[in-house]
Amino acid sequence: MSSSNDWKRADNRIGVLFIVPFAVAALVFMVYPVAEAVRLAFFEHNPLRPEASHFVGLENFRTIYDDPLFWQSFRQAAVWTAWSILLQTVIGVALALLLHLPLRGISVFRGLLLFPYIVPTVVIALVLQWMLDGEIGVVNWSLKSAGLIDENIYWLATPGMAMGSTIALNVWKYTPFVTICVLARLQTIPLELYDAAKVDGAGALRRFFDITLPQLAEVLTVVVIFRTIWTFNKFEEIYLLTKGGPGTSTFNLAIYSFEQSVANLKMGVGAATGVVMMFLLFVGSLIYMRVFRFAEEDTP
Amino acid sequence: MNAAYVARQALAYLVLLVLTFLICFPLIWALSTSLKPPKDVMATPPRVIPLEVTLANYRNLITGKQQYFRADQSYVPTTAAPQYFTSWFANSVVVSLGSTCISIVISTLAAYSITRFRYWGRRIIPYFSLLGYMIPSIILVFPLFLVMAEFRLTNSLWSLTFGYVSITLPFCMWLLWAFFRGIPIELEEAAMIDGAGRLRVFVDIVLPSALPGIIAAAIFSLIVSWNDYLFARVFINSIENLPLTVGVMHFFEGVHVDWGLMMASAVLMTLPMALLFMLMQRHLVAGFGAGAVKG
Repeated sequence: MSSSNDWKRADNRIGVLFIVPFAVAALVFMVYPVAEAVRLAFFEHNPLRPEASHFVGLENFRTIYDDPLFWQSFRQAAVWTAWSILLQTVIGVALALLLHLPLRGISVFRGLLLFPYIVPTVVIALVLQWMLDGEIGVVNWSLKSAGLIDENIYWLATPGMAMGSTIALNVWKYTPFVTICVLARLQTIPLELYDAAKVDGAGALRRFFDITLPQLAEVLTVVVIFRTIWTFNKFEEIYLLTKGGPGTSTFNLAIYSFEQSVANLKMGVGAATGVVMMFLLFVGSLIYMRVFRFAEEDTP
Repeated sequence: MNAAYVARQALAYLVLLVLTFLICFPLIWALSTSLKPPKDVMATPPRVIPLEVTLANYRNLITGKQQYFRADQSYVPTTAAPQYFTSWFANSVVVSLGSTCISIVISTLAAYSITRFRYWGRRIIPYFSLLGYMIPSIILVFPLFLVMAEFRLTNSLWSLTFGYVSITLPFCMWLLWAFFRGIPIELEEAAMIDGAGRLRVFVDIVLPSALPGIIAAAIFSLIVSWNDYLFARVFINSIENLPLTVGVMHFFEGVHVDWGLMMASAVLMTLPMALLFMLMQRHLVAGFGAGAVKG
């Protein structure tokens, strides 16, 4: 009996041993940076003169609160996120419905769909800069030869157009995410539901709103919450295409934080912005866990 | 088979083709531009199929000869960035593989541990990872930079390798946890009753059945670290240590942007991921199914 207990204890030691690397890595690479980001938010820290770093209390938060650019970035991030999510969701669902059709060769199209997800953001940003070039870009040329515009549009040099272009990049790259999730759910909706509705004489539109959409509600909520959290905090998708410009017209909080830390050498102010972002993210995650009652899920 | 049915099918295919075009056009256009000689790059009307195909842009990138060209289309050799293209490529490969290996080993061990053993705190780990992978890199990057500076690792490939662990580890953990939960425990128990040790069971029984999950996690991890721009931008300041993503941005220096060269580097940067994608598509979809997608 005691030998069995010894074995159990030795065995459990292996289990603990297996978790140690993760615990160490999580502490060093996840917990510590976040704690350090929070600490920095209360310090004045110039990366070129780290020895002069000192505690300033809430000064950094007051700075961003008083900075019109912070609020502008906040508003633009909200606009950017709202449009991106709206378009991704609508197009994503439409695309999923299309790819759900029983057509020959549909799996080829389903496969292609994932492609934008693996294309590096740098690549699509470079290619878009080339395609959207005001003078020699292929987009302006196509629109002009189709007779849709007379004058060249300076896509990345006019504020509204630049915002639109970054939204387009984001939609191009992440709509597949929505489609994949929705498609997976569509495939589990029992067909009998539709047959019954057909017997009752419900049209295609009616069937979509009465059957499909309610069935998709749950997966769409998850996707929208997740995508909202991620999209709101995106950096590269905007920075690589417009650098936040022209002027500051495509700044979001991530770019604001980056510019404060890198260009203005105010890491404390950048970190304070990061803390605001983390707070928003935390609220978003709480909503997520609340909606799906994560805690009730049983782990073996 | 009535006419309305056929028409509907035709319409569906038409829409699918248009969408495929929209999805693929940026890459097709990049490929097309990269194969044109300088005089055709900016020619109007722009042509998708080049009149004249040349591999000069690729040759310039790989042999490291960089040439910008003047408005009159004569070449101007410059000393700027591109002689580093091959080093950037190698750097990208090294840091992506390095950080993926670290993340995968750590999270495989951890996922096995929390799904098979009972000890205090194990339940919190998945939720902790979920929170971890929602934290955007912009928040992590500067504190991590200070950590790396502390260890004198900045401006080295180590800083990137470790830096990427901080973004890939949480979602590898989340994905593998979900995966290990689904592997039935009975087989392991039977083997252990037959006298096989824990490590033996782990290597011979658990790892093979976890392989699809491990592959999916590895692919996502490779994609994320290969595509990163921000960490490299902040951590590395000498040009030869850059990965591709930050490196190619140096091609914007100079009077004229050489779009042919730029697009050739875009194509080469996409190529490894595209190959991975084609070979591993099945596993990618499985990974999406497990809900572990960073993006």
